[in-house]
Amino acid sequence: MSFLARSIAGPMIWAVTFSVVYALHGAGCALGWDGVVAGPVSLQRAALVGSWALGLIAGAALLQRLPASGGMRAGLPRAGAWTGLVATLFTLFPVLVTSSCDAARAPAIHLFTPA
Amino acid sequence: MTDATIGAAAGTGAAAGEIAANAPQRALGLHRELDRAWANAPGWRGQITAVSHTTLGLRFMATALVFFAIGGILAMLIRAQLATPEGAFLDTEIYNQIFTMHGSIMMFLFAIPMLEGLAIYMLPKILGTRDLAFPRLTALGYWCYLFGGLILIFALLGGVAPHDGWFMYTPLSGANYSPGVNADVWLLGVTFVEISALAAAVEITVTILRQRAPGMKLTEMPLFAWYMLGTSVMMLVGFPPLILASVLLEIERAFGWPFFEVARGGDPLLWQHLFWLFGHPEVYIIFLPAAGALSTIIPVMCRTTILGYGAIVAAIVALVFLSFGLWVHHMFTVGIPHMALAFFSAASVLVAVPTAVQVFAWIGTMWKGRPEMHLPMYHVMGFFLTFVMGGLTGVMLAIVPFNWQAHDTHFVVAHLHYVLIGGFVFPMMAAAAYWMPQITGRARIKGLGETAFWTILIGFHGTFFLMHLTGLMGMPRRIDVYPDNPEWIWLNLTSSLFGFVMTIGFALFALDLVLQAWLGPRSPRDPWRAPGLDWAMRLPPPSYNFASLPGPGRLDGGAQAAQGLARGEGLLPGAPRGRREVLVTGVGSARPEFVAILPGNTALPLGLAGAIGVFVLMMLSGLYWLTLPALALVAALIWVWARGMARGRDAAPVEVAPGLTLPVHTHRQDTLGRTGAVCLLLADGTLFAALLFGVGFLSVVALGWPPPELTGDPELGAGLIAGLVAGLGLGVVAVRLGLRAQGRGGAVLPAAAGLLANLVALACLGWLAAAVLDDPTRHARDALRGVLTGYVGLHALIAAGMAAFALDQARRGEIVGARAGCLPAWRLWQDFAAVTALIAGAILLAQGAGG
Repeated sequence: MSFLARSIAGPMIWAVTFSVVYALHGAGCALGWDGVVAGPVSLQRAALVGSWALGLIAGAALLQRLPASGGMRAGLPRAGAWTGLVATLFTLFPVLVTSSCDAARAPAIHLFTPA
Repeated sequence: MTDATIGAAAGTGAAAGEIAANAPQRALGLHRELDRAWANAPGWRGQITAVSHTTLGLRFMATALVFFAIGGILAMLIRAQLATPEGAFLDTEIYNQIFTMHGSIMMFLFAIPMLEGLAIYMLPKILGTRDLAFPRLTALGYWCYLFGGLILIFALLGGVAPHDGWFMYTPLSGANYSPGVNADVWLLGVTFVEISALAAAVEITVTILRQRAPGMKLTEMPLFAWYMLGTSVMMLVGFPPLILASVLLEIERAFGWPFFEVARGGDPLLWQHLFWLFGHPEVYIIFLPAAGALSTIIPVMCRTTILGYGAIVAAIVALVFLSFGLWVHHMFTVGIPHMALAFFSAASVLVAVPTAVQVFAWIGTMWKGRPEMHLPMYHVMGFFLTFVMGGLTGVMLAIVPFNWQAHDTHFVVAHLHYVLIGGFVFPMMAAAAYWMPQITGRARIKGLGETAFWTILIGFHGTFFLMHLTGLMGMPRRIDVYPDNPEWIWLNLTSSLFGFVMTIGFALFALDLVLQAWLGPRSPRDPWRAPGLDWAMRLPPPSYNFASLPGPGRLDGGAQAAQGLARGEGLLPGAPRGRREVLVTGVGSARPEFVAILPGNTALPLGLAGAIGVFVLMMLSGLYWLTLPALALVAALIWVWARGMARGRDAAPVEVAPGLTLPVHTHRQDTLGRTGAVCLLLADGTLFAALLFGVGFLSVVALGWPPPELTGDPELGAGLIAGLVAGLGLGVVAVRLGLRAQGRGGAVLPAAAGLLANLVALACLGWLAAAVLDDPTRHARDALRGVLTGYVGLHALIAAGMAAFALDQARRGEIVGARAGCLPAWRLWQDFAAVTALIAGAILLAQGAGG
């Protein structure tokens, strides 16, 4: 794998995982997966958490495979792999904690009103 | 020399340190020889036939400054209107046109072209080459930019400018609510301008990857090039969704195919998604080149080297990717599920980290160096102050509950101006102050620049800081009067007054540039003692940049390297063959691989841009049938364009240094053109992916689904789709057979077979459209099927055109031996067309090939 390809592999894993989870989220809500039971959780939650976990595993596996030393030729791919892994962890962790399909609406208030 | 020995010679050149220096020659003789090959034609003819990156880069920047001035005047009109609560200065319709045009001009006609111009002008000089990879494409990009921009400006003067806001939300911009041509002007004009952005992105990517000076490895290239590489890739991926959105909306407006109309299965949110898929990365597309300029300027001004080169490169890579995961934060209030809000909120917060890495690297660089407060540093300080504030309000807006409160208020207006003026305009002013001696060969007139800086800084913060407050007090953006809100009056009046102060500052800045170019004293060769290759030449730069190209040992010499290069001691000295020659190097290693011969001056780009302009004007006028001759003219000119690079004879290898002889590009398959084609297909693939996103989005989210039953014959539909894919697949086989037969000059038959296969595919497609597909105005599903079919048809048509071109080349004897002609590019295109047809066909079949 070329230097450039290795350098973007980590962020690519994030991009693919992010796209898949976002698409599954939309599709699952439209298809009613939130109401389908899959063991202890809904099918929607299982699909999202499963996709997220796959992304994390892929990111960690990439990190494992990259050499630890070797100047910038090794450092940039490792930095890219860390970027991808942290981004996957941080941007998709809501699959664990938030409700899935209920739409959020903004209440109309103003934060700051002069005396 | 045989190809094998040429390859071996190139191979020995790989160990960059082994390249020997050429013997010194008389600099004046070399200059005259090179200038004959590279200079623009004299007089007015030179103005329309120039393809030089120096000329066109400057032209891009000068034109962008003119549009900046127009956009600035519009901003002053807005501020004049808002200075009082019931301003009678502008009526609502004109006000709507003015704020729409202000945003559109600043984004599409100033910021992007300005960064393109800077990159077009600087990159070859920084990378140590003589021009960009595709000079005619540079010129085409400029003319498209100019003509597209003029369409918008003339529409403004004619009172029919776009009036739906610079992001043109549907349904307001749809035919029902914007029945005139105003919205069409935006859709067609901006798309016309975007041709130049894509052209520049291809140019920049290929030039950085393939034309760096020998020995300049990727891991060691100047940071400006890293930033521009990130920017150009983002442009290739970021612009296609907007182009698709504009095409879809224009089709909806012109022909009634519903994509965004709820009643017929469309959804206005599809526009928002596609627009912001472009729109948010756009912020980083604008910021990254500015950051590249900062990373160049700060170490020089601080008499040190950049701190954290590797960390900055890693931050660039992170920004390039993460910036594509933020777009929904512009849509937080449209009613999106909590979980999706959280994804995009988290990504919007995370993107601050790589941005902060850069800011801390710049601060660290200043800390370890000895900052000298020359004019560029003033603007760098203005950047820090302004951009950090804009970045922090960006983090505030990334938090969903705050975003809900501040959405669509002047707080957002303040934030975006802090980011764009802080993150782009101040760095660009720093860049102007830094590189003006390089561009003009003249030093500046002291005092005026500093006055301009302080006036702009004070005027800017006085104008926009207060908008945070008016926004938090609930003032919506884009209103023209506020008679019921006396609490906003003094803030708006003060903003307006400072707005005029800022305008005076920009006028002083422009005056400073003009005076420097016109009356400034002669600049020393390297006024900043900078190490880059951009200073290793005469000032102002000659038409060819380097009399001989820098190689190992001469990559960071700054002005000290200039003399040896001017005497021909570098690589590929002079122009003894009277051609425009550049060195092409390996992507990662920067090993010299071959010599590319670039095209000379030509009016073809102007003609092609003019033909595209005729197409746009026919669309705008509603004369849709007349677009067909315009398109035929475009196709004919593209054919002439491609013929211009065809070679009927073998070209002798070129000795670029003692012991290093390289083939010319016609004897290679991995040409610059092939790399450019890969870049173009990346953009094309993104557009196709965005179209698939549209299909998926409407199928899943839109309210007016399920659609009505299909009425076509399903068996006929399936058969025609199979015929289409088989035809394109046979084209894939044919082009490979052509490449196999290339050596013995036997490509005529495979090219003819490829042409026939593509024509069969087109016939199947035409039959499908005529006999099977339903009326595309009936429902969004049918409209999407029509667009998918059209997309595949366009690609099959171009594939047929490439096969015809290959056939012509083969018959002329231009595909023989090591010369592959257009076969490598055709192969790429044919493969892409076949794969996308397969995917599109599968979707059509999944939806039901017919009733």
